[in-house]
Amino acid sequence: MKRLKEALEAGEFTITAECGPPKGTDIAEMLEHARHLLGKINAINVTDNQSAVVRIGSLPVCRLLSEMGHDPIFQLTCRDRNRLAIQSDLMGAHILGIKNVLCMTGDHVAAGDHKTAKPVYDLESVQLLQTVAALNGGHDLAGNEMKGATNLYQGAVVTPEANPIEPQMLKFEKKVKAGANFFQTQAIYDMDNFKRFMDRARKYNVKVLAGILLLKNAGMANFLNKFVPGITVPQELIDRLKAAGKEGALECGMDIAAEQVRIIKEQGIADGAHVMAIGLENKVPEILKRAGIA
Amino acid sequence: MIVSKAKERQDVINMLEGVKSVFLLGCSECATLCGTGSPEALAEMKESLESIGKKVTGTFVAKTGCQVLGTKVELKANKEEVDAADAILVMSCGAGTQSMVEVFKDKKVYPANDTAFLGNMTRFQHFDERCSMCGECIIDKTGGICPVTTCPKGILNGPCGGTNNGFCEVSPDIECAWAKIYARMERTGELEKMRQIIPPKDYSKKLSPKVFVIEKKKEEK
Repeated sequence: MKRLKEALEAGEFTITAECGPPKGTDIAEMLEHARHLLGKINAINVTDNQSAVVRIGSLPVCRLLSEMGHDPIFQLTCRDRNRLAIQSDLMGAHILGIKNVLCMTGDHVAAGDHKTAKPVYDLESVQLLQTVAALNGGHDLAGNEMKGATNLYQGAVVTPEANPIEPQMLKFEKKVKAGANFFQTQAIYDMDNFKRFMDRARKYNVKVLAGILLLKNAGMANFLNKFVPGITVPQELIDRLKAAGKEGALECGMDIAAEQVRIIKEQGIADGAHVMAIGLENKVPEILKRAGIA
Repeated sequence: MIVSKAKERQDVINMLEGVKSVFLLGCSECATLCGTGSPEALAEMKESLESIGKKVTGTFVAKTGCQVLGTKVELKANKEEVDAADAILVMSCGAGTQSMVEVFKDKKVYPANDTAFLGNMTRFQHFDERCSMCGECIIDKTGGICPVTTCPKGILNGPCGGTNNGFCEVSPDIECAWAKIYARMERTGELEKMRQIIPPKDYSKKLSPKVFVIEKKKEEK
C-alpha cells in the first residue's frame, strides 16, 4: 500500500480509517483493531482526545502504529495546547517519523468529560495550518529560525452538510490558502449534497477524502440526526436499518458504508474515503471488500 | 457596563462571620443598573443583615465606585459610620470593592457581588456579553461582531463543524457567531473581507495587571 501522500499524489483512490486511543493504559484491543487494517488502508488517523474526552495522547499512539507498519495521521487540536505546545508537538511528530498531521480546532470541553477544564484555543484550525506551514519552512510561528525543519503533510476537516454552508465554504477556502493539502470530511450520507460540495471543492488544488461513518443501527442514525451538527442521515437509510432488525442492523450498516465508498470511487466524486467505524475498526476490511476495493 | 451578580446570601453571611457591624456601600453606575448596588438593594441587604443580628452602621451609594479619589471624597461625610463598622460590605463590582481596600487601609472590606462580565443591556436588566476586552479589537474584519467573545472557541477564521442551523453545538442558547458574522457581512457588502485570514491574537495585550495612563496633551502655542 502506498502511504497517504504518495497515494493521493498518484491519483489513487485513497483509503484512511480511524482509531481512537482508549482512556487508560490498556491498548491491546486498539492495537489489535489497528493490526486488522494493515495492508488494507493507506493511512490511519489517531484521534486527539476526541469529543474532549481524556484519552491517551495521539502522538505516542501514532508512533506505535508507525512501528506496526501503518502511515499514521496525527490529529492535532487547539483545545488542549497553546502555540508553544503545538509547535513542540509538531516537531516531536517529525522526529518520531510521523508524516501526516490533521489540523483541527477541536471539540469544546463542554462536550467532554472534564467540563470544568479551561479550553485553550490560543490558535484555531486555520492558524494551526499556517503554523505547520511555517515549521515546514524552517521557521517557528514567531519567525525564529529552526535547526531542522519539519516535513509534515497537512490536512484539515470540512463539514459538507454544515448549515449554513456558505461560511463553511469560506473557511474551507482559508484552510486551502493556509496550506492544507488534503481534507477529510465530516460524515456524509446525502450523496447529491456531497456532489454539490465537491463541485465547489474541485476548484481548489486539494485532495478530498469523503467521511464514511459506519451506522451500527437505526438508533445511532437517529442520535446523529438529533445531536451531531453537520450530519444528516436520510430517512431512507434509517428505514433500511430498521428493516434489517436487531440482528441484521450492523450488516446493513456495513452494506450502506460499502455502497457509499463504491459510489464515490466509481463516479470519481472524491479522491478517497475516510472510513470511521468507531470501535469496530475490525469491520473496515469487510466494508472495503464489499465496496470492491481489494 | 460591568455586570455583577449578587452572591448567595448565605455566602455573604459566612464571609461576615465574626463581624458584628458593617457599613454598606453601593454604586450608582453599573451595579445600580444590575440591581446589585442600588439604594433598594442596599436597603434589602441592611434589613437582611439586621435580621440576623448584625449592626449596619450606615449605607451609601457612591456615584462611581471605581473612581478611587472621588469615592474617597464622597465618603468623608460618612466617616463616623465607616469608623464604627468592623467591615465594609461593598455592593458593586470587584473594582469598586478594591477602591475601598485602597481608601481604608486598615478596614476589612468584603464583596457582596460576583463580577461577571462586560455586558450590553439588550433588554431591561438582561445583559449579553459582546466584548471581552481583549485589548486588540478586530471587529472591523468581522462585521462588527466579536468572535473572540461570542464564539465559545474564540475562532477567528470562520465557523467550526459544530455550527448548527445558526446555533452553536456548545449550547442551543448560543447563536453561532460565524453564521451571524457571515449574514451581516453579506448585508453590508463586506464578504470579500471575510476571505482574509486573521492571524493569531496577541495575548500580550491581555496580560494582567494592566495600567493605562492618558498622557496630557502639550498645550499648543
